[in-house]
Amino acid sequence: MSSLEEGSGFGGDERYCVVGSFPQEFHYSQEGHNGEVKVSDSDARPRILLMGLRRSGKSSIQKVVFHKMSPNETLFLESTNKIVKDDINNSSFVQFQIWDFPGQMDFFDPAFDSEMIFGTCEALVYVIDAQDDYMDALAKLHVTVSRAYKVNPNIKFKVFIHKVDGLSDDHKIETQRDIHRRANEDLADAGLECIHLSFYLTSIYDHSIFEAFSKVVQKLIPQLPTLENLLNILISNSGIEKAFLFDVVSKIYIATDSSPVDMQSYELCCDMIDVVIDVSCIYGVEREGDESAYDSESSSIIKLNNSTVLYLKEVNKFLALVCLLREDNFDRQGLIDYNFLCFKKAIEEVFAIREKANGVERGADYAALTSDSLDNTQANGLVATKS
Amino acid sequence: MNAVIALCHFCEIHGPRVLFCTQAHHAAEPQHVLDSKGEEYPSTFGHHFHKRPRSSTNESLSSVSSDLTTCSSASSTEHCEACRSFQPGQPGFISNDHEAKISYISSQNPEHPELFTIIRQACIRSLSCENCQGREGPIFFGEDYYGYTLSYMFIIKDTQARGLQRGYSIIVVMMDKIYLLNSWPFLVKHMKSLIDELKSKSNKVYEQEQTQRNQRAERLHREFLSPGDFYRGGVNKPFRALVVLTGDANLFKYLHMRFSWILKAGGNRITEKVLEGPPLEEAVDLDDEEVTEEGFIKVSTKPAVPSSPENPSQSEGHQSEDELEGDEGPVFSSLQHLRAVLGSLNFHDVAYNVLIGNQLIARADCKSTLKSLFKVLKVILPAGCCRIISHSPTYQASWKCNFLGLSTGTELPEHLITSEVYLLLDVISPVNLKQDSNRVVSRTAGPFKGHGISITSSSVVPDKVPTILSRIVTTLNNSDLTPEIVVTVLTTLKEEWMNKVKLLFKFTRAGSHTDEDTEKLLKILQAKVEDKPLLRFWITALSSQYRSHLLTSIMGTT
Ligand SMILES: Nc1nc2c(ncn2[C@@H]2O[C@H](COP(=O)(O)OP(=O)(O)OP(=O)(O)O)[C@@H](O)[C@H]2O)c(=O)[nH]1
Ligand SMILES: [Mg+2]
Repeated sequence: MSSLEEGSGFGGDERYCVVGSFPQEFHYSQEGHNGEVKVSDSDARPRILLMGLRRSGKSSIQKVVFHKMSPNETLFLESTNKIVKDDINNSSFVQFQIWDFPGQMDFFDPAFDSEMIFGTCEALVYVIDAQDDYMDALAKLHVTVSRAYKVNPNIKFKVFIHKVDGLSDDHKIETQRDIHRRANEDLADAGLECIHLSFYLTSIYDHSIFEAFSKVVQKLIPQLPTLENLLNILISNSGIEKAFLFDVVSKIYIATDSSPVDMQSYELCCDMIDVVIDVSCIYGVEREGDESAYDSESSSIIKLNNSTVLYLKEVNKFLALVCLLREDNFDRQGLIDYNFLCFKKAIEEVFAIREKANGVERGADYAALTSDSLDNTQANGLVATKS
Repeated sequence: MNAVIALCHFCEIHGPRVLFCTQAHHAAEPQHVLDSKGEEYPSTFGHHFHKRPRSSTNESLSSVSSDLTTCSSASSTEHCEACRSFQPGQPGFISNDHEAKISYISSQNPEHPELFTIIRQACIRSLSCENCQGREGPIFFGEDYYGYTLSYMFIIKDTQARGLQRGYSIIVVMMDKIYLLNSWPFLVKHMKSLIDELKSKSNKVYEQEQTQRNQRAERLHREFLSPGDFYRGGVNKPFRALVVLTGDANLFKYLHMRFSWILKAGGNRITEKVLEGPPLEEAVDLDDEEVTEEGFIKVSTKPAVPSSPENPSQSEGHQSEDELEGDEGPVFSSLQHLRAVLGSLNFHDVAYNVLIGNQLIARADCKSTLKSLFKVLKVILPAGCCRIISHSPTYQASWKCNFLGLSTGTELPEHLITSEVYLLLDVISPVNLKQDSNRVVSRTAGPFKGHGISITSSSVVPDKVPTILSRIVTTLNNSDLTPEIVVTVLTTLKEEWMNKVKLLFKFTRAGSHTDEDTEKLLKILQAKVEDKPLLRFWITALSSQYRSHLLTSIMGTT
């Protein structure tokens, strides 16, 4: 006969006994907002975790690289209060999820379901604020890495020594060396030498963050060796010095030939993409139903005064090939174009195999893709007769 | 309202934190709910607080009448200004509602460790897990075990915060989901008005600070001059308390007042009553009370016949030794025993007649046999239905008693045999057995071995018997149950059906209603046609006081 007034309540009732932890699905559930089919689809995607102390720059990185936020705007980013999951699926080659964590995340909180978080993740990016005292960050790095490794030894660990724009060049090298040494010492002390950490110096105020993220993303592409091989064949047969295969939207390169990457040429290529997109945004003829400034016709040649040529060609909706070559090698543009078409065809084949593999779920994508490649067969034929 | 209201904050350093929490303590609250190991100090209505062991001694309690507990937190060192409502050592707030004997107490965190965990988890979930459309607004979440939460998230502007704003939430945590959901409109309305106040206060502060120095320009400028220096050096003190953000020094006092009011008004708004609202009959009818072994209060009946030697209430429990003296007849020890002696078919007939109120006339040589028979059978009837004359030299009419004990050979009047509904049970001792023809002889070992049992009934037991009889039979069929457990099971069974009876009674007396309505009610009560005779009889168990109480008391809305 208890009415609410009479009943015992919050003063502490038996019902409150044993408050252990959240139910498993509670904190980090994989609820998507796009309905169920989508959920399972995006869950199958490779996952990149962004971790690090608060204010280290995780959200800034994610916003600048994938959402075109200007670096200055990051000054007004709020501190992240929950895990923010971001689906990156502009290119069918690079499809993954980025999980941006709150810096306060406590691994010892029972709510932290490490199985679920680390279990199926591909890469963990740990961001360290290089402008700040990084001792705490290193301690947390150690905890994070060893915990994640225990759950899933296949995770690739990337450490971003971030905000290096505020550091002098000497200081940068010194910081990197110090962080590298301390982090590895900590791991060795814990008997975890087997864990490999890769270090990158990054800043959102220049291209270093794109470069570093490119490396992270490349590791998610199983076809990477094939792509690199194709690029190697292309440049050696066409007199090209350096070639990048770009994801146009994020400007991260998903593959390059095996010659070393120097920052300057990467920046040049990034800038070229910006130029092409900007120019075609402003002057491009708007076709029905297609607002994108980038299409199969997109291509551009920029000649620099140091007798270098930048050459951009569309590969597919999302990818562009950007090459650097000496001006005297460019007189054989026909050959380059022909080789490019072969390259493009090869890429499409790689795609086709991949699409077949994921066939059923991504039916739609596949359809779009085949119609794309039909458009291009004509062109293919043309060049072939010419040779 | 049995709820805890708390203000939570997402701190840029520490993540989600409980800032301030108000709860109601009832005078009637049982004391055992708190662990008894802790140090106790009475401070409010019948409620005891526990001081959890703390490392620092300077946090000890002062003896100011209004204080209860210091700002409690296991990790007070981990708090910054932004996630603290009381300075360490500062007492909380209390308001006493003397009429209702309820104390409303505010502190940083709930004192009770388990409650603390619940509130903390609700806080984390409210600020760091759940998504609310547009970031501000009410959401509901929870489960039976950890309680249910209504959480209202909102944003307070802060020129010094990283995103120029900070996330807060007000949560109401309750174990009762239905109550909480029913209180939704009320709670949301008042949370919103409170939040709007907080926001408008903080907006004023924000606007003022912005006009003094435009933060946007300032930050971009600084970043340009010395990148990354913005937050360093502590010049800006970026983590400011809500008191500063709203410019209201008495903010937490005000919150205490508002929260307490919400708890009180929320409690007054809805009174919850269980559907079987009427109190135990016995709780109302306190005349001639006597507590039975089962913890019930027995309602005694006046001895119908002055000559009857014993008061029925004495047949309960311990029989006085002297009564049994010189009368060493066989006795029934339990219902199972009775059933074994009678045989299950006979028992079924007897139980049926007893349950629907037909008079049971028993004839035996010994008073003790009769007495034990009635004692055992009484268990299946509500106390108010038992009118027992365990031994009478002559027949007594059925309006006087439904259990009547007679000596072997006592004649029954003619009118009874021809026109009344009764059941006659003869227990025949082995000595007299030969003359009798239609008897069953008990073969089970025990006091009744060799006794004859004869049953004469003027009524026919229908195929469909009252539900309760089937349940009794099922219970008795279970040989794993000890007699004590059987009594307990039957007691609950009786209670269940008495509640239906009460409801039916109240319904039939509560003004006009069609037969159809009655049928509907019976259906809801899961009472079938075959239960009707039983219900009709059991209604008579309600005493007159209880009836009038039922009719005058108002059934609460649920
Ligand atoms: N100088 C400089 N500042 C940066 C860089 N990246 C981020 N910042 C600044 O660092 C501050 C914090 O950035 P956030 O991205 O919000 O930090 P976070 O790691 O997401 O922080 P939490 O969400 O609290 O865990 C912002 O003011 C950014 O402008 C960088 O490369 N260089
Ligand atoms: Mg963030």
